[in-house]
This record gives sequence, structure tokens and C-alpha cells, in this order.
Amino acid sequence: MPAKKNAAQPAPSAAATTQSSTTAAGSVPASAPAAAPSAKNSPANWDKVLQNIYQYYMKETPQRTKLIDVFLVFIAVVGALQFLYCILAGNYPFNAFLSGFGATVGQFVLTISLRIQTTAANKSEFPEISPERAFADYVVCSLILHFFCVNFIN
Amino acid sequence: MRFSVASTLLALASIASAASSWTFSDGTVQVTSKAGNDAVAKFSADDRVQNTLTLGHQDKLKVTLTTKEGSKAKRPHQAFLVVKEASGLEAPFPLTVKESGKGTVEITQKDLPVQLLLSQEPLEASLVLGSFGSTKGSVTPVFDFTVKLDPATAVPSYEKPLRYGKLAEIHHIFRADPKNPPRIVSVAFSLAVLATIPALFIGWFAIGGNFAHVQKALSSAPISHVVFFGSIVAMEGVFFLYYTKWNLFQTLPAIGAVGVAAFLSGTKALGEVQRRRLAGER
Amino acid sequence: MWSILSVAAALFAAAVSAVSTSGNRLLVVLDDVAEKEAYGQFLGDLTARGFQVSYETPRSEGLTLFHLGERTYDHLLFLPSKVKGLGPNLTPNRLVDFVNANGNILVALSSTVPASTSLVSLLSELDISLPVERTGTVVDHFNYDTISAAESHDVLVLDAPSSIRPGLKPYFELPGGVLAFPHAVGHVLGSGPLLTPIVRAPATAYSYNPKEQAEVLDADELFAAGQQLALVSVMQARNSARVTVLGSAEMLQDKWLDAEVAKLGGKSTKTENKEFARRVAGWTFQEIGVLRVNSVEHHLQGSEELNPGIYRVKNDVSYTISLSEYVWDKWVPFVLPEDDLLQLEFSMLSPFHRLNLELKGTTDDAAIYGVSFTLPDQHGIFNFMVNYKRSFLTNVEEKNTVSVRHFAHDEWPRSFVISGAWPWISGIGATVTGFLGFCAIWMYSKPVGKKN
Repeated sequence: MPAKKNAAQPAPSAAATTQSSTTAAGSVPASAPAAAPSAKNSPANWDKVLQNIYQYYMKETPQRTKLIDVFLVFIAVVGALQFLYCILAGNYPFNAFLSGFGATVGQFVLTISLRIQTTAANKSEFPEISPERAFADYVVCSLILHFFCVNFIN
Repeated sequence: MRFSVASTLLALASIASAASSWTFSDGTVQVTSKAGNDAVAKFSADDRVQNTLTLGHQDKLKVTLTTKEGSKAKRPHQAFLVVKEASGLEAPFPLTVKESGKGTVEITQKDLPVQLLLSQEPLEASLVLGSFGSTKGSVTPVFDFTVKLDPATAVPSYEKPLRYGKLAEIHHIFRADPKNPPRIVSVAFSLAVLATIPALFIGWFAIGGNFAHVQKALSSAPISHVVFFGSIVAMEGVFFLYYTKWNLFQTLPAIGAVGVAAFLSGTKALGEVQRRRLAGER
Repeated sequence: MWSILSVAAALFAAAVSAVSTSGNRLLVVLDDVAEKEAYGQFLGDLTARGFQVSYETPRSEGLTLFHLGERTYDHLLFLPSKVKGLGPNLTPNRLVDFVNANGNILVALSSTVPASTSLVSLLSELDISLPVERTGTVVDHFNYDTISAAESHDVLVLDAPSSIRPGLKPYFELPGGVLAFPHAVGHVLGSGPLLTPIVRAPATAYSYNPKEQAEVLDADELFAAGQQLALVSVMQARNSARVTVLGSAEMLQDKWLDAEVAKLGGKSTKTENKEFARRVAGWTFQEIGVLRVNSVEHHLQGSEELNPGIYRVKNDVSYTISLSEYVWDKWVPFVLPEDDLLQLEFSMLSPFHRLNLELKGTTDDAAIYGVSFTLPDQHGIFNFMVNYKRSFLTNVEEKNTVSVRHFAHDEWPRSFVISGAWPWISGIGATVTGFLGFCAIWMYSKPVGKKN
């Protein structure tokens, strides 16, 4: 029994990695099998793999999703700058740090949700939710988040 | 109110001594020591012991003498050996005097009060003789001795008795105020953060983002689009006013009003967006 | 509250002029009422000061210290009495109850009469020990009165107290005067803070029992000698009731009040016994050394509100206390003794501040002491506490409780005045701006290139 189980083990875990890398690349699952083995084979051509992923991303991702991704990068950079400042210059006043950094984290999470709900590939998972409905939710939640942050920074 | 032996002595010295007075003879002080530091010294009324004696923790100090009234050996009523510390504190040790005037007293460390044991200076022993009647009493300093405590046992501690009085001032020590980092660092980071905004727009335009559909949207649903986007901006404006000058009770009605406008116009505006999507224009 | 008190005090003062702050009913306990003749001047002086003096013997039937739970007398004076015990009405317990009920007691002893067991027990309760066998005479072969006691040396002539202890009011100090102590009984004090010796025996004095030790003083039986022996001592209880022990009752008698005495080899002088007796009795019966707190005020600096119940951490606060002192027949501003300080503690369990109060001003009958300070940066329930307990002065214990609260949410500095918060403020600004731009571009961006 244990032997069989061990043998069965690699398959699901491989599937799991595939899936996660797919979401990261933000596109069709089909791309993953190509990327994963090459990474295992030779670390030497990492650059080739990355280039592959990049080209695939540029080619296959819808432009609307790319706009979201740019916004995500922007939020990540703003958040990173604030965190870096906190490390370098100390956390006084701490509530200002929390609300400033929290605003970026919250906004990032909300935007990711929007991206998941509006990506065409995930349509089957949210059959009831149209992209416009998702956007309306996103706007409401973002405004609430901003209100909290403005309130908390004093 | 303090009468020291010395001042009394001075007062006595100034009196012309017509009458006879109490004195003594054959004064001997003897330290018997288990450690072998035995010492014997003789003293008389005019001649005190010159060198300082040492009283160890197992030693016994014994004083013997013969008291005299004038020149006749006699027993006085008061015959004390008074041991005095530099600060003026005194401890009296009465002598056991026989009818013949022979008197003795023995002192060990156990007999001395703690304050005297802890004295840094040598202790001064004086002999006080006095009795009723007209014969004058006498106070004679006879010898000095130091106390050598047992190094093996703890030093006896003397606790000052509690006395009401002023106490030392106490000033609360405040926690230090939090310190701001250098202003230049804050300014630099603020500018860096703000600089990401133009970078964001540049990024969008670089991958082909644009606002080209504004006209289309405005032409098909002008009011709802203006009101919807305007109310989102207005909501952020309300937040800004809340941050700068409004209080919560001014803010909440404003949020409510803007929120209703956004909800009503939003359904229409997003409906238009959906029509565009279904028409394949997104 | 304070105004009612002051009106009551003023009325009281008008009703009975020149008398103690704690009542004027004085009971003198003595063997035979006829004996009071010997103390005529002293007792007459008390009557003249406004005391209603009653005389009783310990055997008297009607003698009672309490009636229906209330004191029937305000002060007691015990003159020497030959009775061994003072009877069921003056048991040590009753006397302690009397002190607990704010009654004052002056005990005068004499070596010619053994002290009553009641008094010995009362005094030992207060940590004052008398010689064994209840009798003992203090003699000093170097400081006796050559006129009256050339042979027996039992009339001591001492310099009047000149500086009892630094930091105390000079109530008993008569610099340059001499006091005569005929047939005095010495006593030894415990180390408690409530006891203060007024007159100590000189270094060469000692106490002996004239009956058993007339010929020879056994070395083992010496009660006390030198400065260990106190001749006059005072005790002030925690409730400010006073007990005084006077070693020599005879010094209150007319013949000793201004007797001529001479020290060994000195000239004859008049004693200051009269003035000393007046002060000892006046102090014991609360005519001097009585303090009154007229008012306590504290307020936030720059605010009109008096004694608020709540302050904020780090507030600047001013505190003032108004004190009066009773001197024989009137209230006067209380002036601190030299080398002493009135201190304010701001405490929660333990003091956070202990500050010296300064004299801010005086009125006709009150002195105002005050201090300004910053409250600690700790919130909680605090006390303004003036705990002024000193020998010779009635206790002052003024406690005013206030809450100290934290900063309210709108009392902190705003984030934009703190330069350290700027990057985070701009962080929110950038996020919000980015969000607005994103909303616009999401709704209005025209797709480019191939549609998926």
C-alpha cells in the first residue's frame, strides 16, 4: 500500500505546481507543461524559459488584463517603497504606516480579485458574475478601503 | 539639652575644689583574649592609658580599681564606666563596688550597643564617681579602645528608627518623545512614491491603454457616465475633506448622497459598458 | 464645605474665647481634692485660659470618662495618687479608649509616690517604660540644686531645652532658662516615631530605687542612666490625640514655678518652670501645635474650573493648600519649622511625583502653599496627597483623588504635522489616484490589437 501511494504521489503535486504557475503567468493551462520540464532539465537556460514565459504572456494575455497587471505592479511598487521607508526610518507614527501600507495591500488584493473574476479563462468558475458586476463590487470595496485608511491615518 | 561628659568636666574644673572629692587608685584595665592579644595597662586619676586597646569578639575587658573619698577608701553610690562614641552616644556600665572600695566591671562585645560596635573611631571610656552629700563627684577619662568585630560573622546592622520628617523629592521621568526621521529622507520617499503615478500612466500607454471610448460612452449614456465617474471622484473628494476639516457627522451624509448617485448612475453606465462588450468592442 | 466649616469655626471661636481646639472640659485626677491647693497657680492659669476644670479622686463613684459612648471630658490630667490601681473607671483600657476618642492626657509622676498600675500599663502600651516597682528617683551628683537638695541630690537643675531636634517647631524651647525637676521619675522610650523626648536627663544622671538601693546600686539592677533617661516626653497618636509624661509633678507646684535654684558652684537663678508648664499643658491640651486645612485647590493651568475630577496625561496642573495653625487663642498662618518642607505627592500606589510646596501667600489666618507641575505620562486613578506628619503638630493627611486619562483620539498631532508620516500619506494619495485612473482606463480604454 505505502509503495503504491508513493508512486501516486508525484502526479497531484505536479498538477498543483502547474496550476499555480499558470495563475502566475495569468493564462491558459496549456503553457505550463512546456515550462515546467525545461526548468527541471537544465538550470542553465533559465533565461530561455523566462523569455518563453514573457513571450507567451505578451502574446496570449488580453490587453485588458495587461492593464490590470500594470496597475498591480504599480501598487506593489508603492507598497514596497513604503515598507522600505518603514525599515529605514522607523515606524513612527505607526498608525500612518499601517494605513498607508494597508491601503496598498488592500488595493492589491481587491485588484487581484477583479482580475480573477474578469479573466476570460476563469469564466466557467464565475458563471453568474459579469465583468461589469465584478467591477462594481471592486469600486465599492475600494471606496470602503480608502475610507478606512483615511480615517486611520488621522 | 545635651550634657556631655567633657563639658561637665570643664564645668567641674572651673570650680575651686575646696571640699574633698571622689577619686580612685590602683586603676587597672585588662583585656583577656582567647586569641592571645592579652594586654594590661594601669591608670590613675591624672594619668590615662596612652595606647588604644583592642577588644576582639571573644575578648573580655576588665577594669579594677579602688574608689576613694578624699584619701580614704570608700564606696560611692555611683560608679560607672561610661563608654562614649565620637558622636556623643554613651553607654554606662556600673561597677560592682565592695564596702572596701574595690570595684570591678567586665565588658564584652555582647554588652555594647550596636551603634558603638559599628563606630569607626576608638571608643572613649570614662569613669564617673559620685555620691550623696557634699563630696564632689568626678569624671575621669581613663582609656580608649577599638572594637574588632568577628570577621566570620555578619556585621551587625543598625537600622535607624523611623522618624517623621521631610523626604527626598521625586520627579517623574517622562518617556522620551518619539523622534521623526530626518526630514530629507521623508521628503525623498514621498517624492519617490508620488513619482510612481506618472510611471503608472506611462506604463498603461506603453501597452496601448487609452481613453478612446470616452466619446462613445458619452454619446450613448452621457448623464450616467458623467455622474458615475464624477461620483467616484467626488467620493474621494469627500474623503479628502474628511481628512482635512470635516468631522464624521458631516462626512456620513455626504457619503450617503454620493453613494446613492453612484449606485443609480452606475447601473446605467456599466450597462452601457456591457453593451459595448457584447458588441465586441472591448 | 470649607465655608461652612470656617463659619462653624468662627462661631465656636466667638463662643469660647481662648481655649483649646478640642474642647475645654478638663478632669484633674488626684488623691485628695484638697491637694489641688499645691498646684493653685498652674490650675488657675488653666482656668483663666478657658478650661472648665473638674476634680475627682480615683475612688469617686460618679467618675466616668464616657457617657452614652461620648467622652464626658476632653482632657485628663493625672497628678500623683497613692492608690495602687485607679479603679474600674480608669482602667488602662478605658484610658486607651479615651485617647482613641481624641482625648488628651497629661500624666505627672513623682518619685515620692509609686505610679498607679493603670498609668504604668497605659504608658507601656505607648512604649514608654517606667522603672520596676513603679518607683525610682533620678539623681545627678553633678547637676543638683544646692539650695534645696544639697545632701540628697534629687532636685535636678537642667538647662531648658534649646534645640530638641531639627525640623520641629520650637514650642518647648526656652533658651537660656533653667528648669528644676524635684523628685523626678525617669522613663525610657521605645523607638516609635510617635514618641518625642522633650527633656532628657544629663549624661551623669541615673535612676535608682531609694528604698532598696539607698546604700549600694547593684550593677545588674540599674534601670537606666544618662541620656537614655527621659524626664519629659510627648506622644501624639495617629488620630492626633496627645499624651504627655511629665517626670516630676512637683515642678507644677506653686513653690517650684519660680523657685530660686542654684547649680553646683553656680549662682542662684529663677527657674522657668512656670512657662515650661504652661507650654507643656498647652501643647497637650491642643492649644498650640494644631493645624487646620482650610482648603485644597487644584486646577488645569489656563482653566477656570476648580478641582476637576479628570485630567489628561501630561497636563500642566497647579495645586494649592491653605493651612492655619492654632496658637493659644487664634488661628494664624502656618509657617513651616526651619529645615522642614511641606510636600505634595502625586501617587498611584507609589508616588510618581513628590514635590516641595512653596509659600504662595498668606492671609490673616492662613498660609497658602502651592506648586505647579506636569502630570506623569501614565493614565489611571491618582491622588494629590499631602501627608504632613510631624512631631508636635497634628497630622495633616489630605487626599484628593482624580482620574488621569489618555489622549482622546482627536488630541493627537495630525499625521500631516509629523514629517515622518509624509511618505505614507503620499502612499494613500498614490493608491487613490492610481485607483481613479484605473477606473477610467477600465471603462473607457479602446481595445488594441487582436481580441482574444
